[in-house]
Amino acid sequence: MFLKMENIVKDFGVVRALDHASLEVEEGEIHGLLGENGAGKSTLMNILAGILKPTEGAIYINGALQENMTTKKSTEVGIRFIHQELNSINDLLVFENLFIGEEIHDKWGFLNKKAMIEKSKEVFIRMGIDINPLELMENLDTSRKQLVEIGKALLFESQLIIMDEPTTALTNKEIDNLFSIMRTLKKEGVSIIYISHKMPELFTICDRYTVLRDGRFIDSGIFADIDEHRATELLVGRSMAEEFIVNDGIKGEVVYEVHGLCCEPFFREISFNLRVGEVLAITGLHGDGRGELAEALFGARHVSKGEIHLEGERIQLKSIKKVMEAGIGMVPRNRKERSIIKDFSIRDNLSIGHFVIKHKHLFINKEEETKRFEKNQRITRIKVGNCEDYITSLSGGNQQKVIISRWLEIDAKVYILDNPTQGIDVGAKFEIYKIINELVKRGKSVIVFSSEFPEIHKIADRCLIMYKGNINAEMTREELTEVKAMYYATGANMEGIDENRTYNTK
Amino acid sequence: MKTELTTQNKIFNEVKKFSSQHTYVFSFFALLLIAVLINKNFLSYSYLSTLILQSTIKGIIALGMTLVIISGQIDLSVGSLTALVSGLGVVVLNTTENMLVMLLFCMVFGLFLGTINGLLVTKGRIAPFIVTLATLSAFRSIIVQLGQGGPFNVSENVYQSFRLIAVGTIFKIPNLAIIFVIVTAIVYIVMEKTKFGRYIYAVGSNEKAASLAGINVVRIKTLCFSITGLLTGISAFLLASRLTSITAPNAGVSFELDAIAAVAIGGTSMNGGRGRIIGTFLGIIMLQMIEGILIAAKIPPFLTGLVKGVIIILAVLLQSRKEKS
Repeated sequence: MFLKMENIVKDFGVVRALDHASLEVEEGEIHGLLGENGAGKSTLMNILAGILKPTEGAIYINGALQENMTTKKSTEVGIRFIHQELNSINDLLVFENLFIGEEIHDKWGFLNKKAMIEKSKEVFIRMGIDINPLELMENLDTSRKQLVEIGKALLFESQLIIMDEPTTALTNKEIDNLFSIMRTLKKEGVSIIYISHKMPELFTICDRYTVLRDGRFIDSGIFADIDEHRATELLVGRSMAEEFIVNDGIKGEVVYEVHGLCCEPFFREISFNLRVGEVLAITGLHGDGRGELAEALFGARHVSKGEIHLEGERIQLKSIKKVMEAGIGMVPRNRKERSIIKDFSIRDNLSIGHFVIKHKHLFINKEEETKRFEKNQRITRIKVGNCEDYITSLSGGNQQKVIISRWLEIDAKVYILDNPTQGIDVGAKFEIYKIINELVKRGKSVIVFSSEFPEIHKIADRCLIMYKGNINAEMTREELTEVKAMYYATGANMEGIDENRTYNTK
Repeated sequence: MKTELTTQNKIFNEVKKFSSQHTYVFSFFALLLIAVLINKNFLSYSYLSTLILQSTIKGIIALGMTLVIISGQIDLSVGSLTALVSGLGVVVLNTTENMLVMLLFCMVFGLFLGTINGLLVTKGRIAPFIVTLATLSAFRSIIVQLGQGGPFNVSENVYQSFRLIAVGTIFKIPNLAIIFVIVTAIVYIVMEKTKFGRYIYAVGSNEKAASLAGINVVRIKTLCFSITGLLTGISAFLLASRLTSITAPNAGVSFELDAIAAVAIGGTSMNGGRGRIIGTFLGIIMLQMIEGILIAAKIPPFLTGLVKGVIIILAVLLQSRKEKS
C-alpha cells in the first residue's frame, strides 16, 4: 500500500468539505477518483499535496505517518500534482516553465540552461510529442500547454502522480498518447490518481476506483467489477426523493428557436426550441461548452454561424442591448464577477436593466427607483433593511434575488438563467425555484443552465445534456433521471473514446 | 425608550455613513482652519473670490478628469490639450474677431481631441495611461511647432473685450467663479441625475457586469474622454482670456497633475466606481488653498511640487484604507 489517507476531515469555516473521507492507493496502480462537482475530490488532493491542511485525519506513505504535510514535503516523498487549471507562464519559454521553482543550477549558482533543455527534450521524447523546449509558451495551443503541464510531473522521479482532469483540453490522439505514458509509468511502479468526469476514459485506463459524495467516502473497488450505470449510481447516490416544485404552467406554442449555432472550439451546431411557459434545462460537465453557449444566446459572445428566432423574428446578436430589446433577459453565472456592481446600492443595482432599455426620460428619479425596488422586493422577497445600502452588505441569496429582479423589470419573454443558484444556501435556492415557477405561470419561457441535477429535477420540463460542445441527449421530465443525465454528460454512451467528436443523440 | 434609541442609532449611522463617504468635507474644513490661522485675511471677500477664480481653469479640467477616473481610466494629456486648443483658439479669434466663434471652436476641437484619446483606448485597446502619455507629447509638440516656440498673442482689436471674460465680474462676483460653479452644477447633474452618469459609475465599478447588463461599455468609456476634451476646451478658452498670450511650451504644463490631485483629494477612488463631483470641486479649491498657505507660511515656492506630491499620496492612502475596511 503506497498511500493511505484515513478519516480526513476538512472544514472551511462552517462548511464541511470533507467528512471522514478515506483513500487507499496501491503501488503501481492507476486509481480513478470519482465524484460530482463539490464532492470533495480537489480538496482531498490538495490536502495530499500539502496545499491545504486537514482539520482531522492521517496520511500514511508506505506505512509511515506523515505529519504536517507541506508542498515541499509532499514533493520530497515523490508526489506530483498536475493541476486542473493551466498554471503556465506565457512569457517564459517551455523549458523555463517545466523547471519553474525547481531550476537546475551549476556550481556557481547560476541557471544551468543546457542541462534543463536536455532534460526537457528527454521528457518530450518519452511522451512522444514534439515540443521545442525553446519555444515561447504563449505560442503553444491549449492542449500542448496541458501536455507541458503533464511533462512537469515526469521531470523528476516520482512515486505518485495526481492528474486532475488532465484531458479536458486534449485531442483524442493526445489522450491516447497520455494513456500509453500512464501505462509505462505504471509498469515502472508509479501510482497515479486519475480524476475525471469522463466515464469512457476512466474505464479505459483505471484499475481501481474510489467514489466520494458530499465529502464522504462511498465505495471503493475494481473497475472490472462494475459498469458505467453502476458507477453513475454510486456518483449520484440515493434517488432524489426531495419535493418537486409543481410546474403546472400551460405549455403553449414554440416561441424561441435556435438553429445551428456554432462557436468553435466551444460548441457547434446547437439547435433547440422553447415553448411558452416551458422551463428548459441545459446541463453537462466541465468542458461541455455550456457557459459559452449561454453567453452566445445573449449576444455576449460572437457566433460564427446560426440564427436565433423569437416569435418568428430573427434576433440581432450584435449587441447585448439589441438582444434585450428583442425580449431576452439573462442572469449571468458567477454573480460576483458578472452581475454585481459592488460600488452601487441595492436599489441602483436593480435599476440598471430598466435604464438600459425602458428608461426614456432625461433625468432619473430616485423615488421612482425606490418604488420599483419595493415592487420587486414583494415579488422576489428580497430581505433587506435599507435599499440604499451597498449590495455587498446582502447575503448571496439576496444579492441574486436583486439581480433576478433587475431582469424581471425589463419584462422579457425569454429568461436565460446561467447557474442561478451558484453559491447560495438551500433556502434561497428554493425561493429562486419558486420565482422561476411564477415566471412560467405568467407565460414566460425559461432556459436554465445548471450543473446541479437535483435542481434540474425540481424545475425543468425538459433537459438538454451537453458533452464536448454538442447536445448529447434530450430528455423530458418523465424520462429524466439523475443516473441517465450523468450517463450522457460523461459521454458514457460513447463506445470507448470517441474519435471524431460527432455522434447521434441516442 | 427603545424607539428613541433606534432613532438615535439611525442618526448616528447616517452621520457615520455620510462621514465615511464624504471625508473630503472634513479635510476641507481642516484646511480652512489652518488657512485662517496662518492668514487672518483669508476669509475676506477678495481673498476668497481670488481663490475660486484661480481654481476655475484647472477645476473645470478636473471635473472631466473625475469622469475619466470614475470610469476606471486616466487622462494625462489634458495639459497639452489645453495648450493646443488655446493656442489655435487665439488664432481663430484673431482671424474672426468673434469670441463666440472662438469658444465654439475650442469646445468642438477639445471634444474632437478627447474623442481621439477615447477611441485609441477603446477601439485600439491600448491602456489609457499609454495613449494619453503619447498624446501629451504629441499635442504639445504640434502647438510648439505651429508657434515656432513663440507665443500666440491676442490681437489689439479684440484684446480689451476678450480680456474682460476672465477678469470681469457680475455683481462683484468674478466671472470665472460663476462659470466654474455653473459647469460644476451641470456635470453634477449629469453624474447624479442621468442614466449616463449612472453608467459611468457602473463601468468603473465592474466593467464585465455593466456590459452584461446591456451597457455599451465602449461608448461610455470613449465619451468620458470626449467630455474631458470638451471641458478642457472650455478651460483653454478661459486660459487664453486670462493670459491673452499663450506661450506654447509653457501653457497648461502640469495641469494633469493638479487635476488628478484634485480628484484624489476629493475622495474619488483611483480604482474607479466611486467618487463625487462636489469632492473634486472642493478638491481643486483645497489645492489652491494649500498653495496660498505655503506662500503665507513663507515656504519656498520651489517646494510646492513636493507638497502636492505628498498630498496626492496621502489622499490615495486614506482612500484605499477606507475601501479596505
